[in-house]
Parts: sequence; C-alpha cells; structure tokens
Amino acid sequence: MSGALARERPTTAIVIFALLLTAPFWLPYVGGYDALATRVLVFGLAAMGFNMLLGFTGVMSFGHAAYFGLGAYGAGLMLRYVTSSTMLAVVSGTLLGGLAGSLFGTLIVRRRGVYFAMVTIAFGQICYYIAYSWNSFTGGFDGLRGFSRQPIDLGFTSIDIQGNGTAFYYFVLLIFALAAAAMGLILRSPFGRTLLAIRENERRARFLGIPIERHIWMSFSISCFFTALAGALYALLNNFADPLGLHYTLSGEIVIMTVMGGMRAFWGPLIGAAVFVVLEDTISSMTVNWMSFVGIIFILVVLFFPRGLLGMLKRRDAA
Amino acid sequence: MDRKIVGLRRRTLLTAGATLGGLQLASPFIISARGEAPVKIGMVDPLTGSLSAPAGPEVEGAKYAVAELNKAGGILGRQIQLLVEDSANDVGTGVQKTRKLIDRDKVDVIFGDVNSGIAYAMSQVTNEKKVLHIVPGGHTDPITGADCKWNVFRICNTTTMDATAVSGELIKRFGKRWFFITPDYAYGHSLQDAFVKQLKKAGGEYQGDMLPIANSDFSGTLIKAKAYKPDVLLNNMGGLAQVDCMKQFTQFGMEKEMALGGALFELEALQAVPVEAKAGWWTMEWWWNQPGVPHVAEFVAAFRKATGKTPSARHWFGVVAVHSVKLAAEKAKALDSLKMAHALEDLELPADVALQPGKVRYRAGDHELMPNIFVGNAHPAKAGANPDDMFTVAKLVPGEEAAGSVADTGCHMKYPA
Repeated sequence: MSGALARERPTTAIVIFALLLTAPFWLPYVGGYDALATRVLVFGLAAMGFNMLLGFTGVMSFGHAAYFGLGAYGAGLMLRYVTSSTMLAVVSGTLLGGLAGSLFGTLIVRRRGVYFAMVTIAFGQICYYIAYSWNSFTGGFDGLRGFSRQPIDLGFTSIDIQGNGTAFYYFVLLIFALAAAAMGLILRSPFGRTLLAIRENERRARFLGIPIERHIWMSFSISCFFTALAGALYALLNNFADPLGLHYTLSGEIVIMTVMGGMRAFWGPLIGAAVFVVLEDTISSMTVNWMSFVGIIFILVVLFFPRGLLGMLKRRDAA
Repeated sequence: MDRKIVGLRRRTLLTAGATLGGLQLASPFIISARGEAPVKIGMVDPLTGSLSAPAGPEVEGAKYAVAELNKAGGILGRQIQLLVEDSANDVGTGVQKTRKLIDRDKVDVIFGDVNSGIAYAMSQVTNEKKVLHIVPGGHTDPITGADCKWNVFRICNTTTMDATAVSGELIKRFGKRWFFITPDYAYGHSLQDAFVKQLKKAGGEYQGDMLPIANSDFSGTLIKAKAYKPDVLLNNMGGLAQVDCMKQFTQFGMEKEMALGGALFELEALQAVPVEAKAGWWTMEWWWNQPGVPHVAEFVAAFRKATGKTPSARHWFGVVAVHSVKLAAEKAKALDSLKMAHALEDLELPADVALQPGKVRYRAGDHELMPNIFVGNAHPAKAGANPDDMFTVAKLVPGEEAAGSVADTGCHMKYPA
C-alpha cells in the first residue's frame, strides 16, 4: 500500500485553492454567489473532517450531524448569551462539539461496523431531541435566534464580516485552509499512517502492538472537532442554529458528500460537497422533485465511479 | 517515463477545460442592460416537506396575480417576474435561498415563508440587506410583535388573532373544559397560550399534550383526552399532522362525546380529510363563499377558470402579497424598499383585493394586516352544492378586535436613520 496521501500531489491543492481564492470574481459569471461558495466550504470542511474517520480510519459514523449541530449551537449560544466576539464563538462551538464527541467516543470505540454506526445515530438523535425540547434555552424547533456574527476587531483595523458577504467568505476560507493544513499534517504524521494501517487490516495492526481502540478514539475525536468547527461556521453563515442541523438526515448528507467526492482522496469530500450543494441549489430552483435527482446522481456515482468523483479523475495506475 | 501533468491525466485536463468552456455558454450571464428590466419578486416557501400543502397554494396565488397584473401592464409599467425557491422546510436552506434571490437575482421584494421559524430567519437577512419582505403565511406572533422590523409586513393573522377570534364562540356554544393537542414548537406554544388566556378569562379549565410537529400517531393522546371528558378538543396541529389527528379522532368515535375546534382548519386540509372528519369550529383567514360581497364572486370565477381550483386563504395570501407590492410601488412611485415600506403603512386594500366587507389595512404600528377573521363550522359539502362548500361562516370578527393594541404585541418599530 502506497498510502492515500502519497498520491496527493501538491498541484491538486494548488488548483483547488486557486479556484477558491478567486471564487468571488468568477462565481457571478456561472450563476453562483458568495453565500453558496461559503456553504460549499462549510460542508466541505464537515465532510473532510468526517472523512478522517471514514476514509482514513475505515470506521463509519452516521451521527456526525450531532457534532456539526453542537458546533452551531455552541457558537450561537456564545454569541447570544455571553460575548459578541466571533472568534470566541467559533472556538466555543468547536470545543462543545469536539469535546462531546471525545466523551461519547470513549463509550463506543469497542463497537465495530454496523453497531458503531447505530450507536452514533442514537447519540445524534439524543442531541436533536434535547435541542428540540429545551425551548427556553435553545429556542426549540424554531431554532436559536437573536444573534449575529460580529465584525472582527484586529486592534488596528476591523474586518466587516457582518455586512460584507465576500469578507465573510474569505474569513471562512482562511479557517478552512488552516483546518485542511492541520488535517494534512495529522494524516502525514506517524499517527496518520497508523490510522491507515488500521483501516487496511485491523487485526494485523493489533498484532503489531498498535493500541487500536485508542487510535480509533483519537481519530473519532479529531474528526468531531473538525466537523464541529464547520458547524460553528454554519451558525455564523446563517446567524441561526436549528435542531435540523443535528438530525440524522444531515449525517446522511455528509456521508453522501464524502462518498460522492471520493473517500480515499484527501480533497474528495470537498468536491463531493461542492457538487451536492450546487446541485441542490440549482435543481431545487427548477423542480420540487430535486431530491430525486440528487439521489439518482448519487446512485450513478456509486455504481460507476466507486472511488468517487475525484478518484475518477485520478490516474488509474495510482490505485 | 511518467508523463503525467500534476497528478491528473492530460486528457482529463483537456476534458475539464472543454467542459468549463462549455459551461460558460450554458450558464446564465449576468444581465448588464437593465433598462426595461422586470420588477423581480423572490418567493421562498417549503414546497417540499411537511408544510408543502399550504405552501403550494400560496405560490399558485402569487403566480395567478402576477399573470393578471402583467396582462394589465405590470407595476410602474414594468412586467413582474416571480422567482420561486424551495426552502425544503429547513432554515439553513431558506436563508441561503433568500441570499441567492437578493445577491444573485437582485430581487426587489421577498415573500415567505409558511414556516414561521424560517420566515423569522429570512427576515434577519432581508433586514440586513434592506429589502422589503412580505410574510404571506407564517403565523407566530413575534414576526409582527417583539421581533418586528421596518421592512417586514405580514398578511396572515397572528396566532393570537385566530385563537382569540374563535375562543368566544367555543365557550359560548360548548363550554369551558378544554383539551389541547398542540405541536411542540413556537407556533403551537403561542397558539395554546392565546387560547388559555381567553379560557382563563372566562374561568375555564384545561389539559393538553405537546406533540412533535410531524407527529402521525395520536392514539395515546386521544385516549387521554377521552378520559378527561372535555367539552371541546382543540386540535392545534398543522399540515398533514392535523389531518391525521382528525382522521383518528373520528375513527375513535370521539365526535359524539365532545366538540372539536381550533384555530385553523384550512380549505386544503378540509379537502384532504374523509367526510366524517369534516367537522368542528374553526377560523378561516379568508373564505371564498361570501354571498353579496362585491368582487368576491368574480374573483372566484376568474380564479377557477385560470387554475381549475377554488381559491383558499393561502391563494388569497399570495394574491394580496403581489398586489401589495403594486400598491406600495405606485403610492411610493418607486421600488425603493424604505419608500415602499412607508407607503404600505396604514395602506387600505381596495375592495377588489381585500375581497371582504369592511376596511382592510396594514396597521402602521406593527405592519400586520387587519382583515376580518371568518369564524364558523366545517361540514361535508351538501348534496348539489359546490364540493368546496364545506364551511359556514357564523361570525366575522374584525382583525383589530382580535389583535389587541400595538402595545400588546410588544412591537417597537425602528427605521434606519
């Protein structure tokens, strides 16, 4: 096994970042807009975080919306009740979702396969019903409102991410780039290699003396932190957090984005998220049956490009 | 020798380049000349999901009004273009579609959403972008109450208005012991609170259950209600859940033991339930059968001719929303949001738009439309009558009377400096 990352050429990253950096300039010409690009980044980050677990550790979770949603509520509650600092809100959202994932992870790392996936759904639904029922604190089904992202004060100047959609896009892009770099470093480290070893052959890794459970727990926790970070950014994007952000249907969408884009490729989930979000946005303007189209496209991708869209673009001999 | 370019195959790169080039031709370019550009209205509604039943007719009503107005010369001599987007009953999607309509499509006005939570989240965006926003059919009080905004106007009644209007009739006709079946979210809570307020005033007592918004099994709750032996069972559920609840209520044979009522039981819901479940005391926010009221019969006939359907309150919301834009723009002589918002304040709808007796106006203090509330009872259509003649109006309650004063709503209207 050459390792998935060895196949990642820096040029792929350069092309992706060149496109992302210039997005606000070319998007209007292809029918896009800033909020759509920001949404792609947010879901791309969530799916890439999730892919640490699915693609690089080989463990399936159907409850990642829980951490995404907790991230959103963490950021929203912070802005609503405590402080008007956008950065603190992002940090608190990430911590809330990430720590909840880490705690919960200790309980489930011994489960495997479908059992692991089912318990993750259950935990997600617990979070969903708490947010749904706690009307006085979370706003219940109507969602948490009455907060909005605030301009970032750098001391010498302040950046207006509140009223300026393009500025907010670049703010999210910066965080996305830092997070992607961190993920890349983690996966290139010996720890990341060990995760790949577990994915490829768990029993052999165990015989080599690798503490499997601890590694899976760490991978799960890290994955939750990144997904929660995406959730916090989502709350800032909408100035709103609602229980549907915790619902298992969103977990399913994150899985779809990841698999569609290519779970063995580092940038695959971002491509998947872009395709999913843009399809949803365009087809739903044309027909109310847009979900059928997204479903059909997903089935076609799984049937004909099992390695995902990005996997399909890559050289066959690299497999 | 490995001749790959940057990890991608050369052919892939070429294909990608050609596709991108093709996309340029296929995608819509931004319009650069805007001389006789149409007046654009963006409408966000949950066309999919559990509120699709009321959302569809709202859009249909707006489309009908746009077609009619366009035939008559449009708004300020410009044609009207209605851009409809699906919020999928999800706040994130609704907000994103609102930004899409404002940022990309540069709409002049936003309509929506049936889901009050989404309508509220949308109003944050429209307020930030300073775009006139009309909420045709999202009922929770705060939209024109504690959370009211200068750019937001609402056509449908508040939950308090509906509940207050029907409470008097229910107490007078049946009694003061009530059982509530209420959806567990803001709409349900504020509706039940409004009912309880009226009930307590009359010295009544109650019990109730809060259920998930898309609940489909009501057997447990109905058994509880049976044991409580109330005078009236109030079904506050909305959309498909309300219909399911009505069906199970009749399957249990409970209609013989207690009266049934609630705030809204819309024409769409009435059409969806079996004959036995067409019963109870409710409010309609507009009703098509108003003998002797000018313009109503002509409107109903024209609407039926165009769409093949009897207009419901939701259709009327859509129609009024489009006409409000026209009235505001013509009074303000501009499409500027701020000017149009001022023009709409205390604007009285002409009789052929109001389609009901009395004066119907947007109250300046909270931007809430003040129409009549049609209180009456639902029943199966009589033999020989129109199949949609399933509701008999017993009383018209003026909106102002049911709404209370502006101070009661908690709205403090603030305009931008």
